[in-house]
Amino acid sequence: METSRIAESLSGIERKTLAVLDTGAWLSPEEIAAKAGIPVDSARRAVQWLREKGLIELDEKKTENLHLSAMGKTSLRNGLPERLFVEALQALGGSASLEQLKKKSSLNSPELNVAMGIAKKNAWVSVRKEGEEIALEFTGLEKDLLEGKYALEAALKKIESKQKIAPEENAALQEAMKRGLAEKAVETGRRARLNASGEKALQAAGKVAERAYDIHAPVPRAFAGKKQPYMQFLNQVKRKLVALGFQEMPERLITQEFYNFDVLFQPQNHPARSWTDTYQLLQPRLGKLPDKKIVAKIKAAHENGGGTGSRGWGYAWSERIASRLMPNAHGTTADARQMVQGVTVPGKYFVVNRCYRPDIPDATHLVEFNQLDGFIVDKEINFRHLLGILAQVAVEFGGAEEVKFTPDYYPFTEPSVQLSAKHPLLGWIELAGAGVFRPEITQALGIKARAIAWGVGIDRLAAFRLGISDIRYLFAKDLNWLREAKSQAVD
Amino acid sequence: MANVSVSLKDLCGLVGKKIPQRELADALMFAKSEVESINGDSVVVEVKDSNRPDLLSTEGIAREIRSRLTSERGVPKYRVRSSGVSLIVDKSVLPVRPCIAAAIVRNVKVTEEFLVQMVQLQEKVCLTFGRKRKEAAIGLYDWGKLKPPMHYTAYRPREKRFIPLEYKVEMDLEEILLEHPKGKEFAQLLQGQKMYPILEDDRRAVASMPPIINSQLTGKVSEKTQEVLVEVTGYSQETVNTALNVMVSALAERGFDVYSVRVKYPNKAVVTPDFTPKKITVNARDVNDFSGLQLGEKEIIELLRKARYDVKQSGGRLQCNYPAYRQDIMHPVDVIEDALVSYGYNKIKPLPVRIATGGKERQETALAEAVREACIGLGLQEVLTYTMTSKQKQAAMVGLDTEKEQFVEIANPVSENYVVFRKQLFPELLDFLAANKHVQYPQNIFEIGKTLRLDGASETGVRECNTLCVALCGKGAEFTAIKSILGAVASAMGWEYGLLETANSALADGRGALVKIAGKEGILGEIKKEVLQNFGLGMPVALLEIEI
Repeated sequence: METSRIAESLSGIERKTLAVLDTGAWLSPEEIAAKAGIPVDSARRAVQWLREKGLIELDEKKTENLHLSAMGKTSLRNGLPERLFVEALQALGGSASLEQLKKKSSLNSPELNVAMGIAKKNAWVSVRKEGEEIALEFTGLEKDLLEGKYALEAALKKIESKQKIAPEENAALQEAMKRGLAEKAVETGRRARLNASGEKALQAAGKVAERAYDIHAPVPRAFAGKKQPYMQFLNQVKRKLVALGFQEMPERLITQEFYNFDVLFQPQNHPARSWTDTYQLLQPRLGKLPDKKIVAKIKAAHENGGGTGSRGWGYAWSERIASRLMPNAHGTTADARQMVQGVTVPGKYFVVNRCYRPDIPDATHLVEFNQLDGFIVDKEINFRHLLGILAQVAVEFGGAEEVKFTPDYYPFTEPSVQLSAKHPLLGWIELAGAGVFRPEITQALGIKARAIAWGVGIDRLAAFRLGISDIRYLFAKDLNWLREAKSQAVD
Repeated sequence: MANVSVSLKDLCGLVGKKIPQRELADALMFAKSEVESINGDSVVVEVKDSNRPDLLSTEGIAREIRSRLTSERGVPKYRVRSSGVSLIVDKSVLPVRPCIAAAIVRNVKVTEEFLVQMVQLQEKVCLTFGRKRKEAAIGLYDWGKLKPPMHYTAYRPREKRFIPLEYKVEMDLEEILLEHPKGKEFAQLLQGQKMYPILEDDRRAVASMPPIINSQLTGKVSEKTQEVLVEVTGYSQETVNTALNVMVSALAERGFDVYSVRVKYPNKAVVTPDFTPKKITVNARDVNDFSGLQLGEKEIIELLRKARYDVKQSGGRLQCNYPAYRQDIMHPVDVIEDALVSYGYNKIKPLPVRIATGGKERQETALAEAVREACIGLGLQEVLTYTMTSKQKQAAMVGLDTEKEQFVEIANPVSENYVVFRKQLFPELLDFLAANKHVQYPQNIFEIGKTLRLDGASETGVRECNTLCVALCGKGAEFTAIKSILGAVASAMGWEYGLLETANSALADGRGALVKIAGKEGILGEIKKEVLQNFGLGMPVALLEIEI
């Protein structure tokens, strides 16, 4: 980097450090701190950074540093044990028994023993046995200590104030170290001096007001709060349908078989009843049926057509079977419930409903999935309109350019049709099942119009739109995927 | 829906026209079928219409395609000659399984493909149309080994003995129901009966025990068989006749000769098979009105003849005869669909729907969306989990008693992971966090979804609540942080809320609260260490769960 660029990127403490090094003298971090008015730690950091940037040169020296240990400091402040021992004897008049002295002084037994040993060695005190007692008495030499001429104390004071120790004091120094009152440490002393680049940088820095950042430096990652991509897709689909004039129907997870099957003209004794291969509930087991008149009409439609122009399935319909509860197996259940509750003519309805089937989950099957179902009620509506709405679904929601219609079978629609759309990579894909609701449904419920209905496997559609090949991923517990997913818009 | 195995060569032979593989899908549309898989000559065809047993064989599919791709039209004509054979129904069988229909087929050339098709058709018809043999059980016999007339009689369980199919020793009827694999499988069809039905010949040699099992000696068709007796039993003459017609018409499609049997009931007699066409009347105008097409009557008649109807015109009314192997036509709309299939769905021009109605989303949807926006604004990531889950996760792992907790519960689960509906959202979010331990923290997530609780007052016995759950995970995931989230959401939604001290099995003591918000309830607090350990979570979690 050029000097001027370096200068621009200098931090505040770096600048202050350079400024006090202006004189060209060697300065230690402590000296820099004092002169620049910054903490010593900051000065040390600044010296380190400036050296890495090549703006200063360093002089490093290792020195042996003698200092007091923690114990040494305390002893000097409170008095060494031997001083306390002598002072206690002095307070007792210069002569006393060991027991008396023990009571007088604040020393504990080990300290007392050490102190007595030193006092005896220095001949400050004479120690004699008198019967059971130990008698202590000053010798006269105790004055050295009491007048402050004790060599060890003098040495400790010099160490504390970092004064030089004279050769004749060496014995005292050795003793201080032996007793752990003083210790030696190796210290690296560091001094810094401005070099030529530093001088230039200092000059350049004078002209720069604010520090410039390295805008290319990496920063910690932050994540935007986002909608789950599949939920977002479903919401967009819902909004779009509302814009197209559809009313949203309530979503139910648990339903009476009545709405899942019976209203939809699926006979109770026919394999069509289990065409979806559905889950059943252990608890709760039975739900309530609607108004008796409606139940009677559905019963009649199954048994003999109930005056709808149909001959019916010809079996005895059971109210109990219709009352059984189950997890919703297809989105059309919501249509059935809406038609029982009543529809307007004309009317357009839709639901996105969670559905359940006891499949083994794989790339194209989920145990739990969503279906988008809709129906349109109108007097004039016909099969061509059904194909029209399907083509619209394929284009609006599937982004399809080419569609195909195939004959299909559902117990509740006649005619029935399957919608396929051409995917640019995957070829023909089944998008929806649809049909005209049978008269055994609409007429039995007193709807004086035709109803065209369609159901979309919205999960597969979402997977295509989100670029997912395995629909299990729609429910994936993968936070990275959710964080990295790009916002999608249904156009 | 049922899958039928077909040989493409055999199919083309029966249609009488070569169908290139790329045209197969279009041809199958006429038989309400599609290609499930294809491997050289063998094709698995998915028959979508579960109400059309006549399509469950190569012969039936070929018949439906032939009238569209060749000049053949109308109801297929099968010649039925009288065999002079009687089948005598004893009154003892009437309370047990009262109806039977039978036919004899001669000049049979048994080929491998034919045998495969017959067994397949018999099985699929019994399974679907016959409701697992209950409404229709079909038997095929080597007629050369039986001596007419035939007898259909009920016997006491120990009164009759015979060697069941694939066995070497004689068993009585009780033993068959208790020990034979087919006996055990279908015994419930005869549950509560004191007598069991038996079909036998004039020497009283047992042919079968309907609807359970054939006899090893006579009830087996092999490559040597030249004459076949076909018989169907059930509870409705119409149903057994239809099933017999499906079987016998398929045999007739192969060019074999069909002979009728006289079924003598105690007070009446019927001759089967009865191929007399069935009738329905359709208004030509309804066809156009319903389809949106503008077809002339002649055009409609031609479309119906391609769909194997014979049609007579009488002043705008079309009197339609359709084959006796069909029982699915209940209403004129069924006929209209057949005409449209003949026409070709892809030739019909779609019409845009121009009906003006006011669109409207549900209030719950709008509310959920507003809460979602607030959460997004707080930097939370939305997640999606399943509503079906395990008791383990919903109870034991969050400190609840699995035995005592009541859930909306599945009776026929396929996996222990999907046994109950979730009562609370947060165990699912903890599970989510546990799956993302390698991902950068903090992990602050939310879900808006349904939770289900038992509720006797509801019409379904279940209360389905829209619920919001927020989980903060990482350093600083503390009570204060989650309470701030609650405050922010409540403020954004204009909701008043209050907190009450509470003890919750999942929340740390003294760090959890009961939330009262906008007339609803929830919980808030720091997750207990033990619960975090249950999920294998090392980072602290603070959470909020409220009904919205």
